[in-house]
Amino acid sequence: MARHRKFGMEHNKAKWGIIFILPSLIFFAVFSFYPIINAFYLSFHRKDLLSLRAPKFIGFDNYTYLFGSSNFWNSVLSTTFFTLGTFIPLLVFSLILAAFIMSRKRFQKFFQMAFYSPAVLSSVVAAVIWLLVFDPRGLGNQMLNTLFNSPGVDHKWLATDTMLRLSTIIVYFWKYIGYFTIIFIAGISSIPKQLHEAAYIDGANIWQGFWRVTFPLLKPTVLLVSVMSMIQCLKTFSTQYLFTVSGTPSKPINVITLNIYNTAIRDHRIGRASAMSVLLFIIMLFFTGMQIKGSKSDDVTYM
Amino acid sequence: MRNNKIKHSILGTVGDALIWIFLIGTAALILMPLLFMFTSSIMPSKDIFKMPYPWITSEFKWQNYWTAIRGPDGDFMYLRNIFNSFFVSSVVSFTTVILSALTGYGLAKFPFKGRTVVFLLIMSTMMIPFEAIMIPMYMVVINMGLQDTYPGLILPFLTNAFGIFMMRQYLITFPDEILDAARIDGASEPKIFWRVILPNAGPAIATLAILTFRTQWDNLLWPLLIAQTDKMKTIPLYITRFTAETHTDEGAMMAIAAIASIPMFILFFSLSKYFVSGASLTSGSKG
Repeated sequence: MARHRKFGMEHNKAKWGIIFILPSLIFFAVFSFYPIINAFYLSFHRKDLLSLRAPKFIGFDNYTYLFGSSNFWNSVLSTTFFTLGTFIPLLVFSLILAAFIMSRKRFQKFFQMAFYSPAVLSSVVAAVIWLLVFDPRGLGNQMLNTLFNSPGVDHKWLATDTMLRLSTIIVYFWKYIGYFTIIFIAGISSIPKQLHEAAYIDGANIWQGFWRVTFPLLKPTVLLVSVMSMIQCLKTFSTQYLFTVSGTPSKPINVITLNIYNTAIRDHRIGRASAMSVLLFIIMLFFTGMQIKGSKSDDVTYM
Repeated sequence: MRNNKIKHSILGTVGDALIWIFLIGTAALILMPLLFMFTSSIMPSKDIFKMPYPWITSEFKWQNYWTAIRGPDGDFMYLRNIFNSFFVSSVVSFTTVILSALTGYGLAKFPFKGRTVVFLLIMSTMMIPFEAIMIPMYMVVINMGLQDTYPGLILPFLTNAFGIFMMRQYLITFPDEILDAARIDGASEPKIFWRVILPNAGPAIATLAILTFRTQWDNLLWPLLIAQTDKMKTIPLYITRFTAETHTDEGAMMAIAAIASIPMFILFFSLSKYFVSGASLTSGSKG
């Protein structure tokens, strides 16, 4: 009798568990699994955004077109430039800033808030502010010219290929530096204080304390931040979109996401856009996989 | 030996001072564009590009804010777009919190066959970047006839794997005795969720709600696809439109930017704890 009741209760629990999970499961089916399968499906078809005609199977044509298209390779190049140019400085500076902030006894909170505050803005607002800073008459030129004592020089922030790329990198760096600093601060705070104290008693200075104690234990966070920032950079869209809308040249900053958007919405070529989406997905999957693998083999235990 | 110690401490002091200078300098550089936005939003355009930049203008032009709100067509579309941003972000935050808590609770406390598979399946969606599936997703929403509607803006963001993961981790440590006590008292399972679980998940809910609200407030790509008419647009789209159409009125542009940022700054300064926990949590999920 008692056993029967217990079984009934377990059964009841299972029922409620499924009821609680079902809404989300339906949601993911419609808005995650179906679209990703459909993206693969469409990437092998020709489909016009506006026509009602069914997609026409064309095999690997979309992919072979992309691999032979200079426009696509330009996007790959732009995305690579942007990603490497952004995530490496982000990684290095957020780690330095976090270590410096944690070495202070006072104003830790203030610096965290100050560095983090641009992350509160929306990306579009960030891009608009910097558009004015990079104006030929703007603060960007003024500051560089004061620094290099070269009055009146225009550094063409939004005109030449290299400067335009650099400008988008600066916007992104500025917006996300505080975010990654906070992640590093969380990582550093999770390292037991005794380890440092032990090192200092043994005669280590701050510098040695950081390189010999903090840094090795921070490896998982370093890995995490590098993959996270890399994946975020691969997905960059808002800055580049707003810059091109405001009239800058588009070629040097025509990143993959921008290209997907334009191919689908402006050119109505859904199949080709899907093929690009699939390639982007595979690249990101590769990096995510790397992170999962790395975080498993690199587990740090604090004794 | 003693000499060495003095040398060491001098080096230490110099290093210490350098670190302070570096931190303060970086903070100044990072805060400068923000200060630029707020100061130039009340300047006439000629002051914005004056050399050197006058951080405090000689003639305050509050009219920039009026131009910003009134819009180039004089139809006060910005107010409508601000409302849209608030509405969409709030609804998405609400549904994300409820659905994530519900699913996280189900995954944490209700053993059933295949639970691990379901959990992994949900987690796997974290690996699918939005940018890669936005086109098929867009076609789903169009086929539902939801282009240019609020449901169209909201539906794809009802919940997300990160929120579910977060709530599950939070609720897994919730004492079973309390749940069993409520059951013995005759409370139904939905009632337990509503009356026991939700009120006890405050910090997790606040963190998730803020994280979601911000993400939506910042969303550009999806509304760009869905919102066709001006009255369905959100703040990022209004800014984009204003930049493309009238980028000669820099003062008004900065006023628009400032108006878009003020709600977020108010949230940030009053609830900074949850902003920070949100940022560090995103990292915790991978550990």
